[in-house]
Amino acid sequence: MTFVRRIILAVALPITLLGLWWFASEGSTNYLWPPLSRILTAFGDTWTAERLRADVVPSLTRLAAGYGLAVIAGIALGVLIGGAPRVRAFTEPVLEFMRAIPPPVLVPIIMLVLGLGDTMKIVVIASGCVWPILLNTVEGVRGRDEVLDDTCRTYGIRGGLRVRHLVLRAASPQILTGARQALSIAIILMVISELFAAENGLGFTVMQFSRGFQIPEMWSGVFLLGLIGVALAAVYRLVEAWLLRWYHGQRLSRREW
Amino acid sequence: MNRTVLGLLGLVTFGGLLEVAPRVGLVPAQYAPPSSRIAAALAEQARQPQFWAALGDTVQTWLTGLAIAVAAGLAVGVLLGAVPMLWSVTATTVEFLRPIPSVALIPLVVVLYGSTIRATVVLVVYAAFWQVLLQVLHGVADVDPVARDTARVYRLGRWARLRYLVWPSALPYVVTGVRLAASVALILAVTGSLIVGSPGLGKEIEVARQSGAAPAVYALVVVTGLLGVVANVATRAIERRVLAWHTAVRTEVGA
Amino acid sequence: MLEVSGLRKVYDSHGRRVEAIGDLTFTVPDGSLTCVVGPSGCGKTTLLRCIAGLLQPTAGEVRVQGSLVSGPPAGLAVVFQEYGRSLFHWLRVRENVELPLKAARMPKSRRGELVADALDAVGLADAHSAYPWQLSGGMQQRVAIARAIAYQPKVLLMDEPFAAVDAQTRADLEDLIREVWRRLGVTLLFVTHDIDEAVYLGERVIVLSASPTRVADDLPIDLPDLRDQLTTRADPRFTELRGRVYAQIQKAKAERTPT
Repeated sequence: MTFVRRIILAVALPITLLGLWWFASEGSTNYLWPPLSRILTAFGDTWTAERLRADVVPSLTRLAAGYGLAVIAGIALGVLIGGAPRVRAFTEPVLEFMRAIPPPVLVPIIMLVLGLGDTMKIVVIASGCVWPILLNTVEGVRGRDEVLDDTCRTYGIRGGLRVRHLVLRAASPQILTGARQALSIAIILMVISELFAAENGLGFTVMQFSRGFQIPEMWSGVFLLGLIGVALAAVYRLVEAWLLRWYHGQRLSRREW
Repeated sequence: MNRTVLGLLGLVTFGGLLEVAPRVGLVPAQYAPPSSRIAAALAEQARQPQFWAALGDTVQTWLTGLAIAVAAGLAVGVLLGAVPMLWSVTATTVEFLRPIPSVALIPLVVVLYGSTIRATVVLVVYAAFWQVLLQVLHGVADVDPVARDTARVYRLGRWARLRYLVWPSALPYVVTGVRLAASVALILAVTGSLIVGSPGLGKEIEVARQSGAAPAVYALVVVTGLLGVVANVATRAIERRVLAWHTAVRTEVGA
Repeated sequence: MLEVSGLRKVYDSHGRRVEAIGDLTFTVPDGSLTCVVGPSGCGKTTLLRCIAGLLQPTAGEVRVQGSLVSGPPAGLAVVFQEYGRSLFHWLRVRENVELPLKAARMPKSRRGELVADALDAVGLADAHSAYPWQLSGGMQQRVAIARAIAYQPKVLLMDEPFAAVDAQTRADLEDLIREVWRRLGVTLLFVTHDIDEAVYLGERVIVLSASPTRVADDLPIDLPDLRDQLTTRADPRFTELRGRVYAQIQKAKAERTPT
């Protein structure tokens, strides 16, 4: 398939949909569904550099902090639990229970204990994200290949090298699956943590628009949230592709015949 | 010591810790009540019809949304998978829409439907749909090339291929998709109720929080957790039953 | 020198007791190439894992260079049958070969030398920066062999290393092993189910019985030292020896206690 044809195929539907939306909404008087043109203008007006700095940056920073915390804690705990069958059996029911609690529901509890503030929001994000990472790490560590394990024992590969290669890298495909799920949860929690009580933030701002019935601005906020979700997903894909190129190569080569 | 015993021990230890920590002052008792108080609050809740109504509302939201999402996901997934041309046209759109967080819809849904169950159902459907769609797409694409070549050599028609080749190959993925969707759907059902204020457990939690009844908040959170555990166990059991005959139990594709 | 005395291994599997190894006793002199053959299911892999210290025997002992084996001993390398699963796919070929040396805290320059020599010895000097998954099965097994070589072991155990490889590649690898063995002077214990391979490679072939496994036969292979796929396999003595091993195994299979 030629390059041009591929590009056309890729953008054909989105452009058509956007076009349809534009024309269908152009003459709209329904205040809930403003013309796309107004939304786009509102986008430019609302999300100025200043507002980006005042609202979006703090949100994203908290997101990064919470996510980072969850990744470190999740992997560390996951390695410890996954490597010891007894510890795994001991903690399994408790972990299954904790992970079944919808993360947003913990927000009221965390608010009770930590009040309102950046710490609360970061803890909320971390508390929700940690579960997929933790559980996937446990799975990944547990399912490590016995032949590889025997190899390490035979050749005296112990300690740090062993953890790095046998445990972490072998489990990395599974860990990254967890990290991807955690990312979706992180974004959701970033917004939710700001809906209750915040002075700044993306979720806070959009909700204000919604409550104040500033509809075009609200739509523009929804757009922005969507864009952020897409952008983070794209970043994640890049990181995953780089970290797991050996894995993808291996799977591809196995499928070849 | 076998697994079940160890697990139970873990649960008991957890409960014990939660009992001791507030009493000893490790966490502020006012905001983190000991487990005995939480259990009492739970019993108290169970006595109130309001609680059961809320539970019913949440379960209803969850299952309604899940059913719609699964039906839609299957339909769209099979369609996109079966007609290769369609997928190449829609691929970018799907990849773009997928990561949009469901919370982005909350302001929309609040404005459109207010604090009704319908609002939450929309959220549930939106989030769960992608889970199903993704898995179905992978299932349809994952047909064993050797099996596919065999079908071609023996000149199986499109319908026969779908029935004997695509469907059995995709089934494990579909089932996994339903399981993942069920989990996400429940989370959104409760979350929607919490944020949007539609009838359900989430709303009860918020009400309890605002009136400062910490034990009740925790008790309700425990209920949501238990609900989630039941949902996970049930869907896993269904998954095992359906896939019992499947030779290779495939691992789920990363969401 | 490798001594196996009174080795016995019993498994409890699914509520049944499986006697993988009944009573094995044999000695492998330093620097020799000994092959172990037996009917399938006779515990060849179990034997190898006990010698490698990866498995604890139920009774009896294994001694390597006089010391009792209770865990993977130093100076012992293993080449597994499943090469795909024993290599680290996120490391390049040379890094794979280097890893055990790194674990042994060898200085970098020395490591580099050993790795280069080992890869050269198996004919993979050009592939040093490739990833294992980019290589064919035969080449991956060569990487595993190179890793064993670079480790500079006194004892090399090979567990049906060529079973998962096609016949032509197998022939090449067999010759490679004999050459490597002669160059390094290791004590090589080679487990296989392929009778022809055992007779072709070994200075001595130990034939195992069916379960409960014992040594059924122990023949010296008096074929010329310089072996070659065409002439050696056409040698009448080869056919004789092969025939004898084959007969032993058939007998072992017939005697097999129903499991």
